[in-house]
Amino acid sequence: MDQLDLLKKDWKKQDGSLPKLSFEELTSLIHKKSSSVVKWIFIISVLEFVLPHLILLFPSFRNVDAQMESLHLQNFNIIISVVFYVGALIFVYLFYKNYRSISANSNPKILMQNIIKTRKTVKYYIWFALSMIPIVGGVFSYHAFNTPEFIAKLPDGASMAVVWAVTIVVLLILVGIFWLIYQLIYGRLLNKLKANYNDLISNGNRGNLEDI
Amino acid sequence: MTKELEHNFVTDLEKHQNIVHKVCRLYTNSQDAHNDLFQEISIQLWRAYPKFRGEAKFSTWMYRVAINTAITLFRKSKRRVQTQDFDTVLFKIQSSEYDDTEEEQLKLLYKAVKQLSDIDKALVFLYLEDKNYTEIAQTMGITEVNARVKMNRVKGKLKKILNP
Repeated sequence: MDQLDLLKKDWKKQDGSLPKLSFEELTSLIHKKSSSVVKWIFIISVLEFVLPHLILLFPSFRNVDAQMESLHLQNFNIIISVVFYVGALIFVYLFYKNYRSISANSNPKILMQNIIKTRKTVKYYIWFALSMIPIVGGVFSYHAFNTPEFIAKLPDGASMAVVWAVTIVVLLILVGIFWLIYQLIYGRLLNKLKANYNDLISNGNRGNLEDI
Repeated sequence: MTKELEHNFVTDLEKHQNIVHKVCRLYTNSQDAHNDLFQEISIQLWRAYPKFRGEAKFSTWMYRVAINTAITLFRKSKRRVQTQDFDTVLFKIQSSEYDDTEEEQLKLLYKAVKQLSDIDKALVFLYLEDKNYTEIAQTMGITEVNARVKMNRVKGKLKKILNP
């Protein structure tokens, strides 16, 4: 006899040994708080949307407008703000749309795809937000480095190439740190889910996460 | 209306709660973890219930939501210390119905199933629940061919675990 068939024969006999919850117990159970991973994905995603904006609460970031003005970058400031907020709104809309599609009624494949898709929206938003650091930092530095005050402060013989190299490295490190923190949160949430998804779609209809 | 909906739902859940308990037994190692998963599946079933339109049987729909919760939605509680071993907690049917060899074999089989991946456990669960390959494929969202291939692999994996 096949091993699974032996198991099946035994499996059917366990009904009597299973716990039995009463109608009242079940009623109270369904109103308890969920610990679903989707709830955490939602909370963390909302935080990720909000956090880049909270940075403006730091005193050193509050006078960015004044600094931009002193460098005659008001127009750039307006354009980049519009791009950022329009981009953020689009991502929030896409996130909401994908989040709403997550349903336990779907089959496991669709459910996992929708969760991964929702998280990917946030991932792309983070890329988008992080890309602002080198863009704004680069333009700001370019204008700041060309002011007479900055040039006067440079030590004799200091090369602008070195100043630029240091600036680029600092900006890249900054992006890298944010990216690493993000990968840690993202990885912790989805590693198991991704492994299960790959396990489910392996063989017959092979594909991978990049197809979603 | 909501009260009526809730009453209908809990009545159905009470009737078919064995399905949820069996999923919990397969995916957890302790009574506490079992209770946690049972609670989460019940919550997910209740939340998904308004969209259950009766196109499938209540029990068929339950299989899908319960499996989804066990493999994807459930977030294991860190505070739970897993103290009991699978075969000491589960499936206490044995005794007089089997001879010792068969009982021992079953114990090993349950232990082997426990070592399978989340997806493989779901396939084994549906198979043990007497679902055919079409139903297994539909519940899991894969093709029938894939379901068959996977089941054969599971059988191979079980053999390998039992006879290393």
